[in-house]
This record gives sequence, C-alpha cells and structure tokens, in this order.
Amino acid sequence: MENKEQYLKLLTEIIKKQAVILGPDIALLKARSISGLKVSDDCAVTDIAGDPKEVIQQLVNAYVELSGQIVKSALSSIFEKYPGINKVE
Amino acid sequence: MPSLTIIFSASLALIAGLAFYVRSRFLLEKMSGKEKETGRKMYELAILKELGDRIGYSLDVHEIIDIITGSLRQFIEYSAVSYMLIQPEKVIFKVQLEKSVNRGFLNEIRERMLGSLSALLDKELSKSVIEEVLSGVILSEDTNEPVRSFFNIPLVIGEKVVGVLTVSDTKPGLYKEEEMTILYKITQQASKAVSKLQEVVRMEQRKLNSMVESMADGIVMTDNDYRVLVANPAVKTLLGLVSARELSIFDIIEHVAGKFDIRSKLEESIKLGKVLEVPEVILGERFFQIFISPVKSTAAMTSGETLGGVVIFHDITREKELDTLREDFTSMMVHELRSPLDGINKIAELIMSDRTHKHAEKVVHEYVPIIHKSSSDMLRLVSNLLDAAKVESGKYQIFKEPIGDIRKLVAERVKFFDPSVKAKQLVVKIEISADAPGSMSFDENALVGVFNNFIFNAIKFTRDGGKIAIQAFLHQRGKDVIDEARRNGVSWFLKEADQVSKDLPSSLVVAITDNGVGIKRENLPLLFNKFRQFQSAAMSGDKKGTGLGLVIAKGIIEAHGGLVGAASEEGKGSTFYFTLPI
Repeated sequence: MENKEQYLKLLTEIIKKQAVILGPDIALLKARSISGLKVSDDCAVTDIAGDPKEVIQQLVNAYVELSGQIVKSALSSIFEKYPGINKVE
Repeated sequence: MPSLTIIFSASLALIAGLAFYVRSRFLLEKMSGKEKETGRKMYELAILKELGDRIGYSLDVHEIIDIITGSLRQFIEYSAVSYMLIQPEKVIFKVQLEKSVNRGFLNEIRERMLGSLSALLDKELSKSVIEEVLSGVILSEDTNEPVRSFFNIPLVIGEKVVGVLTVSDTKPGLYKEEEMTILYKITQQASKAVSKLQEVVRMEQRKLNSMVESMADGIVMTDNDYRVLVANPAVKTLLGLVSARELSIFDIIEHVAGKFDIRSKLEESIKLGKVLEVPEVILGERFFQIFISPVKSTAAMTSGETLGGVVIFHDITREKELDTLREDFTSMMVHELRSPLDGINKIAELIMSDRTHKHAEKVVHEYVPIIHKSSSDMLRLVSNLLDAAKVESGKYQIFKEPIGDIRKLVAERVKFFDPSVKAKQLVVKIEISADAPGSMSFDENALVGVFNNFIFNAIKFTRDGGKIAIQAFLHQRGKDVIDEARRNGVSWFLKEADQVSKDLPSSLVVAITDNGVGIKRENLPLLFNKFRQFQSAAMSGDKKGTGLGLVIAKGIIEAHGGLVGAASEEGKGSTFYFTLPI
C-alpha cells in the first residue's frame, strides 16, 4: 500500500479538504511552503521529494499551526481510507 | 566632440545617479515593508488587547467575533466579512458588507462557509435553518462580481467547532499569507482565552449545580426565552418526571396545567422585576408554596440586566398537616374542657335553685362527688397539657436523686396496678438482669409517671389472660443493644431494623412488653406526637386519658438524657422501652 501513488492521493485529499475548510488560497500557500511537495493550482499533489511520511507530517503541522488541532480531527476520515499509511501524530 | 574626460565624468555621474536611485528605491521599499510589518504588529496588539478586555467580562462568542470583524477594516481590504455560528436549532449567518455586492456573491459565501463547517464537523449542514443578518452597505444587483478571494477561519471553543469566520472580496489573489496568518493567530488566541475562561466558569457552574441538585426544594431556572437552564432532581420528582434527562418549559407547562401558569408568572415577575408568591398549589398529593423571581446580573459591567427567571417549589404539605392538627387540637381541647365545666355549671344551677336546702343531703352525697370528678378530670387535662407544653418547649424540669433503686420502683409500680392486673387475669413478669445497678441517679416521681403510663397502656391493650413483661438490662457503650437483649433473655419486638442509636451511652434499658393487640406500623411514628395522640384519644372517646402520657414520658426520659421508643407487631403485641444513662 505504501507506494508513491497512495501518498500523492492522500496528500491531494488533505489539501483539497483544507481548501474547503480554510479556502483554496491559504490551503495552497501552506502546502507549497512544504519543501518536497509540488502542488498544482487545483490542489492536486503532482510530486513528492524526500520521505513522504515526513512530508505529510509537515503539511499537517502547517495546517495545525494555522488553525489549531481541530483541522487534524477533520482529516481522520481521510487517513481511515489509507490504512497502510500511518496516521500523523 | 566632447572630450573623453567629459564623457567619462558624465558616465560616472550617470552610474552614481543610477546607483543612488536603486539604493533609494531599495531603502524606500525596505522602509515601506517595515512600516507594513509595524502596522500589522500594532493591529495585532491592539486587537488582542481589546479582546482581552472584553473577554474579562463576556464570554459571548458573538461579541468576541464582532470585535474581530469590526476592526478588520483598518487592517485588510474586503468586500464582506462574515461569520456563521452553530446554534442548537439554527445556524446564524452574519455578514458585514463593506462594498456593494449582489445576492449571488452572498449566496456563494454562504455555501462556502457551510461547506467549511460541514467538512470540519463531518456532518452535512446544508439543510440547516439559516438565520441571515446583513449589515453595512446594501446589496446591489447592478454589480455582477463573484467571490474571487476568500479565506475561512474555523472558530473553536473548548475543542468544539462553534462556527467559521470568512473574509472575502471580488478581487483575485488579494490576500497575502502574512495578513491571513495574523487573523488566524488572533482568532486562535481569542479562542484559547475563551475556552480557558469557559472551563473556569463551567467548574463554578458544576459546584453550583451540585448545591442546587441537593436542595429539597424544586428549582427551575430559565433564560429570557424561557429555555430551562436548571431543573434539579426535586422538581423532576414533584412533577413526576424523574427519568427525564432534560426538562423543557413545555414539559413543566404540561404537568402543572390548570394549577399553575408558570410561563405567565415568569413573564410577570421579569416584567415587574420582583418576587411573586403563589401561596398554595396542589401538585399530585402534595401542597407547594411557589416563588417566582427574576434573575438579575450582579457582574459589574452588566449589573441589573435580567438574565432570566427562577421558580422555587417549596413543599408545605407537612406544615399544612400540622396546621390542621393544631386547629383540631385546639377545638378538641376546648371541647374536652367544656364537658366537665358544663357538668359543674349545671349542678351549681341545681344547688342554687334549692333555696330551702331540702335536698342538702343529695347535694353532699350525689352532686359534690360529680363536681369533684369533673374538676379532677379538668385538672388532669390541664396538668397534662401544661406538662406536654413544657416538654415541647424543652422546659420540663426533673429533680434527680442520686440513690434511685430501679428494682424497688418497678416492684412498687406492679403492686400499684395489681387490682387491674387481677381484674383482667394478666400475668406480669419482672426480669431485671443481675448487672443492673442497685442505685442510680433519676427523678423518682417523674419515672413513676413513665412506668404508670407504660404499664397502664400495656394492661389496657392486652386481652384478658394475657402477659406483660417488665425487663431491664445493662447496655455497654459501643455494644449492640439487640444482641445484649438477646443475651439477657429479653423477648421484645425490637429488631435490628429498628436501629436503636449506635451512639447510645452505657445505660439501663427498660422494656415493657405485652402480647396485646399491637400497633399498626404506620401509627408507630405518631405515638409520641402531641397533636396526634390527643386527637386519637379524643376521637376514640377515651375518657381515661388525654393521650398525652407518651409525649410527657418521652420528655421525662429525654430530660434524663435517655431515649424512648416503641416496636410492635399488629395482633401480637408491643414493646415500649426507655433508656437511662448510668
């Protein structure tokens, strides 16, 4: 399960959900501030460089820093769809 | 042709000018960036201070969000700033329009905010009832600009999503990361402060709730919209709604319908700003005195503001019963005194009519004994009433003698009642344990009264040929009285369930047990009640007593520091006992 495609999908879902919650502008700005993450204007992740788990953690941290722990709770349902990928702390 | 020197000088001047221009632009830009940064910092500090001040006296999320939205204009450009707050029965959608936009713009914002909330809560909110509040400039259908820039800030209090705040504009790419980040930061700080204070308030509320919950009076508190904020277990019990988790005003209205108009009374109390009283309302089988009061704020900033109303249901059933008993007691006492007085009066009239003294002998032998009997009855009644009154007021005085002999006292009392015992062919047994002290300190005359009363009752309520036992044993502090009685061979009607005081000091326990008619379980607690005893004696037409003997006996024993009690099985007999501390 833990292949790059899965990570791309998961990261895309995270950013798209945050785009709904926070708005696409800020969701994209925060996603693009993560090194190793390439994101298109429609919030799709096109490439990841480095450890994907680390990238996920950094992305979630960026959203949590912005608007609190509640955004992490809102991502639970996405992580449930990818049981092969460990949930972030 | 200009010389090379001139060209060189001009070139140098041009380069220097260019360098100066570039440097100046760089410095200007740097200064402008610093100014902006300072401006942002100043805004952040000002808004946080205002929020801090406001949160000090209000935890209303509306007010706090209004402060943030009201100050945004000086910091960020927008067409609309809006917030949505989730309420139990609706979603409030409040919009402050800074620029004129059309309905389409507003609808788009609304959908995006609902989408944000739904995503946060993982719950579809699109079908919720939305209450829209618009302020600022008016909507205009002449403009046709859609939402091109926006961002949402989740509003979270105590780890719970309560709403979302949105800043939007018709221009594309308007919002920079720094501006947005500051607003997220401010909102988060406000949210944390409110969450912390709400937790403190909740803790205080829990303490208050525990107090209200333990109160015997039924208490209902409502807000200004008659929503029930507090309903303690006592009120649920009196309304017959013990299993209800939460009560609504409609539940209460339904259960007190036709007896008490709770809503109108609350309305009246709040409107008049004063406490109202409904003196007597019957709910179920009980009487209640009901107080209705407005609840006003005492907080400095909102002092006097009406927060809602409170209704207190005070159970007066017992007071009502006692009032009735007192009234009956007075009328019966008057009746009891009137009968012998009437007799004396009639005889006096007869004697006075015998002017020739023809019937002098009849007067002496027949009428005077009647007068004596009637006046003795009256005197006994008045004495008993006086003694009972002294007992009731705690002024009954005893005069203890240090060398009282309980064995001698019991033997004398049994001898005193010998004629009655023989007349009913009763068997009277005296059993006093060997460890009972030979001399004790007590008021002998007073104890004679107690024995007389207990033995008289035992004879009276025991059938011919029955048995009466007068038993006494020593109780040691900390030991079980029932167990001690068993070991001393005392057969009585007391059981473990009767729970004789565990703190009983070392005492002599005296019990008078008969195998007579017994007493109904429900009547046992009434035996030592002045009003009940007098009432039942008068109603049964008992001419041999006022029924106050037990009440007086209780007063005498309690004045000795002992206790009095009774146990019985209907049809099998009764035990009356008292204790005397040694």
